[in-house]
Amino acid sequence: MSTDVILTSDIHEQMAVHQPKQRGKAGGFLRRTNVLTGSALGIVLSAVTYAIGSKMVPWGTQNADYSQVGLNALVGATYVAWVIGFMIGIGAFAGPVRWMLGHDITHDDSEYMAGKGQGKWKYWKYTTDHKVVGLQYLVMALTLLGFGGFFAMLIRTELGVTWAEVFDPNFYNSLIGTHGIVMIIAMIIVVAGPLGNFIMPLMIGARDMAFPRLNALSFWLLFAAVPPLLSNLLLGGIRDGWTVYQPLGAQAPVGMIGYQICIITFAFSTGIAGVNLITTIVTMRARGMTWNRVPIFVIGILAAAIMGLVWFPMYQYSQVLAFSDKVVGSSFFIPQEGGSVWLYENLFWLLGHPEVYVIVVPATAALLELMVVFLRKPLFSYKVAVAGFAGIVGLSSVVWVHHMYMTGWAPSAGYPFMLSTELISIPFGFLVLVMLGTLWRGKVWTRLPMMTVYAVLWCKIIGGITGVYLSDVPVDQYMHGSMFVVAHFHFMLMGAGLFGAMGAIAYWFPKMTGKMLHHRLGMVGFWVSFFAFQVTFGSMFVAGLQGQPRRVLQFDNAFEISNWISTIGAYLIGVGMLIFLYAIITSWRSGTIAPANPWGAKTLEWQTQTPVPLENFPVLPVVTSDPYGYGVPDPYDSIELKLTDENLKVGA
Amino acid sequence: MSTTTASSTQQIPRSPTTGELVTTTARRNRLGIWLCIVSDATGTVALLISYVYLWSLNVNSAWAPPKDSFAPDLPFWLIVAGIVLAAATMWWGVRGMAKGHRGQLILASALSSIIVLVTFVGQIVQLSTFPFAITEGAYASATFWLAMATAIHLSVVLFLTLAIFNRTRAGLFTQSNHSHVRLVAMWMTWVCVSALLGAVVTTTMKVSPNTNSPTFGTFSQSSNK
Amino acid sequence: MSTVDERPTAEAEEPEGPTNRPEPSYRLREWLSRPYVRHILIIFVILTLAIIPAAWLVIHFMNLSGAPASDIMYEIERTMFVFTLVSAPVMAITATILLYSLLGWGRVHGEEPPMQESPAIRSNPIAIFGWIGATSLLAAFLVIWGLVELARITEMSNGTTRANQQPTTAKPLDINVTGQQWLWTFEYPGQQSITSDVLVVPIDTPIYFNVTSKDVIHNFWVVELGVKIDANPGAITNTGVTPNKLGNFNIRCAELCGLHHAYMETQIKVVTQEQFDAWVREMGGKKFV
Repeated sequence: MSTDVILTSDIHEQMAVHQPKQRGKAGGFLRRTNVLTGSALGIVLSAVTYAIGSKMVPWGTQNADYSQVGLNALVGATYVAWVIGFMIGIGAFAGPVRWMLGHDITHDDSEYMAGKGQGKWKYWKYTTDHKVVGLQYLVMALTLLGFGGFFAMLIRTELGVTWAEVFDPNFYNSLIGTHGIVMIIAMIIVVAGPLGNFIMPLMIGARDMAFPRLNALSFWLLFAAVPPLLSNLLLGGIRDGWTVYQPLGAQAPVGMIGYQICIITFAFSTGIAGVNLITTIVTMRARGMTWNRVPIFVIGILAAAIMGLVWFPMYQYSQVLAFSDKVVGSSFFIPQEGGSVWLYENLFWLLGHPEVYVIVVPATAALLELMVVFLRKPLFSYKVAVAGFAGIVGLSSVVWVHHMYMTGWAPSAGYPFMLSTELISIPFGFLVLVMLGTLWRGKVWTRLPMMTVYAVLWCKIIGGITGVYLSDVPVDQYMHGSMFVVAHFHFMLMGAGLFGAMGAIAYWFPKMTGKMLHHRLGMVGFWVSFFAFQVTFGSMFVAGLQGQPRRVLQFDNAFEISNWISTIGAYLIGVGMLIFLYAIITSWRSGTIAPANPWGAKTLEWQTQTPVPLENFPVLPVVTSDPYGYGVPDPYDSIELKLTDENLKVGA
Repeated sequence: MSTTTASSTQQIPRSPTTGELVTTTARRNRLGIWLCIVSDATGTVALLISYVYLWSLNVNSAWAPPKDSFAPDLPFWLIVAGIVLAAATMWWGVRGMAKGHRGQLILASALSSIIVLVTFVGQIVQLSTFPFAITEGAYASATFWLAMATAIHLSVVLFLTLAIFNRTRAGLFTQSNHSHVRLVAMWMTWVCVSALLGAVVTTTMKVSPNTNSPTFGTFSQSSNK
Repeated sequence: MSTVDERPTAEAEEPEGPTNRPEPSYRLREWLSRPYVRHILIIFVILTLAIIPAAWLVIHFMNLSGAPASDIMYEIERTMFVFTLVSAPVMAITATILLYSLLGWGRVHGEEPPMQESPAIRSNPIAIFGWIGATSLLAAFLVIWGLVELARITEMSNGTTRANQQPTTAKPLDINVTGQQWLWTFEYPGQQSITSDVLVVPIDTPIYFNVTSKDVIHNFWVVELGVKIDANPGAITNTGVTPNKLGNFNIRCAELCGLHHAYMETQIKVVTQEQFDAWVREMGGKKFV
């Protein structure tokens, strides 16, 4: 570690050394760009592309007996034009172009880009400050969760109304797929986005992320990726689930193109964010923050970033190739022409499984970080926690075939992959041990973030045990593709992921927004969601055990009761979540002003003032111990000693 | 800051935006490039898996293009040779800059840009003169996309080499601060590896080893196609 | 601006050296005499006993529609039963500590950070190695059980053995299963290729399925018989089962296959050999030998 201690004033002093020329006002091209110019250019460019393209496209060209290649190509080009137009319009290419021309950015430029002196307007611009990007991610994640939750309510409505079809099958299947992928994207970003960007650099004592412009790029790519995804519902939908198995996806209407463009763009966003997070953590820790003094949340973010960075391109390429099948008529996944459905499934699940850990690991790490504060106890066995994360990262890449036990692809692969999948319960057990060990004999300060720890541990144990069932090939022979699977992964992704994220957001809310989260409203929202969640998905386990397949809109009468219960529970989750969202919005707008360190925590982010100044710390901190120095000596130790003396006397 | 640190800055320039030593940012950027390479490597591996897996399966006996018109080998190797030459030239320029010869880097980046441009054009020519269309079977699709990936890589490299040429000419690289050139050379080296892997599979795996794949939608296994 | 903690940690204060170290057996007795340890042990036992009946509940739900109708399904249910029993203590210990943490070790309310701190327990080798050992043993048990069961049901699918380990003498019945949007077709190649949209099979005869699809991926799921395999376009997959219970059972598609996936259901009728022969004759096929 050689990050120098630099006073802010020194940066200005040494400006004379090697300074690029300031041409015009600070910020240059970026002074004129914002989300409006981006959207405008994106819309104009895509409209022009559509207008020109629709004159050229041979309408009705058929690919095998499936889709209209011409129409798909036209829509694909339109979406690509939107993404490129938006990114040009918001100024994403200004940096590379200036670099190429040799017009390097100056200190004033970079301060402008970090949002200096722009007030609230900076949240709508290509702003590089990690705190701005973190809040942008937070709002984006909440928005996506809102959409996903709304789709979930519609799905449960259909399944609760067992006597009629509420939606036509095409729309219902599209809802399932859109709910799935919107929630997956929201859950991938909900911790690593807001907290990984806003809190993590503060936590390691850095002034910003390693690559501030890439940070802005990763958020605005995500922003550009969302409209194509949501618009799929207007273009015939993605009626194939979030996995979009081929060749079913090749049959889908043009809405599928929106999904593919979204995933390809989102994968760039994730990869860029991964590069940024890893580099920041590895190279920008404060002086004295050796690897055994790094807060455990940072380790969790590092683990998630590594998995995302390494495996996301698999998913991206599966969509690139599927896109190619649809718009130029190639045949990667079209079996009549030599393509293979198993190829798609392998490429998809090579990311698909690590992605689950990309969701769960940061949320778990955040809870480990915050529970010590509310128990006033050190983290139990830091090294075991790190080993747990390392084990998950290592094993995550060799378990993907457990999603494919029943596909008939290499039946003998069931043996090794059952082994690796059940082995992953050991590193997960490490994390449970650390949580239980930290709870052990701790006096609980009953604030909202701490309550989520209990909820998450409970959900994680149920999700973990049902996961062990599913990892077993014989059991999977009954459970695969049933509602049991749906209930299991909701316990992991929502129970352990989303409730953990709610705790993490509640914990860092004062630092991020400068306001305290309304305790009572938050508690009501959270507990209503939690108990309703148990009802909804507990009942879904029963439906799965009885043999209800997933992704159906009508089913056997035998499953009616458990589906009615699930639907009622789901509505209650919706109510709870709305209360929680209301708590967030009202607290953010008009909550009580938060002190710099409301929880009395020892990590670095709480040691700087709130709201956090542009350069985070007036002087870069120096770290001399790990941040878990809570607690008093164990009273039982002294009792033990006293008794031992007596014991020795008796023995003598 | 103490005066001792200030005097040491005479030797090592500082980044104009953050005030850190450029050696610090250089180390950081190098890690960033390594991570980009890892991520891009996964994508390349995805394409290679697609090619090799479809080759080994021969689903519906439809792997081979019509009349077994596989792509000729030579263009693949010419393109690999072009990229290797460009990367080697760039490394030569880096070594020159490290010794303070700015002219050598200007020459190297100019040469490198020209070679990359020629290779890129060659790649486009190869893509447009394949003896099959992308719609004609799995081999056609997989080969087309491996070549396409090289073309995309080359267009990025072209941007980078031109930028290096332009920046060197503008005097933005010095003996003590030329880490960007090294990063670009690292990236070019990876592009060599990626193109080489693509060339190896496309030139060595042509006729599928599986000759009795089932006919689509039926239970008969036939090899008559 | 640093995290310097002036207070020495609890570990540093812990006296070292053999003279002060009590006997392990004494330490264990002392530990067990602590009130919270006793409470936790009692709650743990009660919760474990309370969770164990879930094993029967799981089987009850799986059997509601007539399972198990084959040896494979019986093995699946047995695995579910054993796994639930094994999971009970894991679930119970977690739930116990959660409950006790909320109720037993004390709580602090209010908005100000509490002044009282908890004991600074940073590590405990016995707990760590005990936990790792226990979870590893559990995982090893689950893996070994799973591998053995997988080998068993694979043999059963291939029609070579029965659950009672007796090699079957009956000749397997081949059936070609074709999935297409959104119906199943069953072809009996040994019976002059008669086709049916309802699966009719004789009891106690090994059935061997060849499965494929004419369009997208489907999943051939014979619910009460524990048969499940994807119907892939462009590939043939195989599985098998020996039905051992007369009656009508469900066949469902378990892989999203498009608009009417939910309605892609049919039935399997397990009948006696005589009834099956009569059905084959009625369909115009050759008698099954």
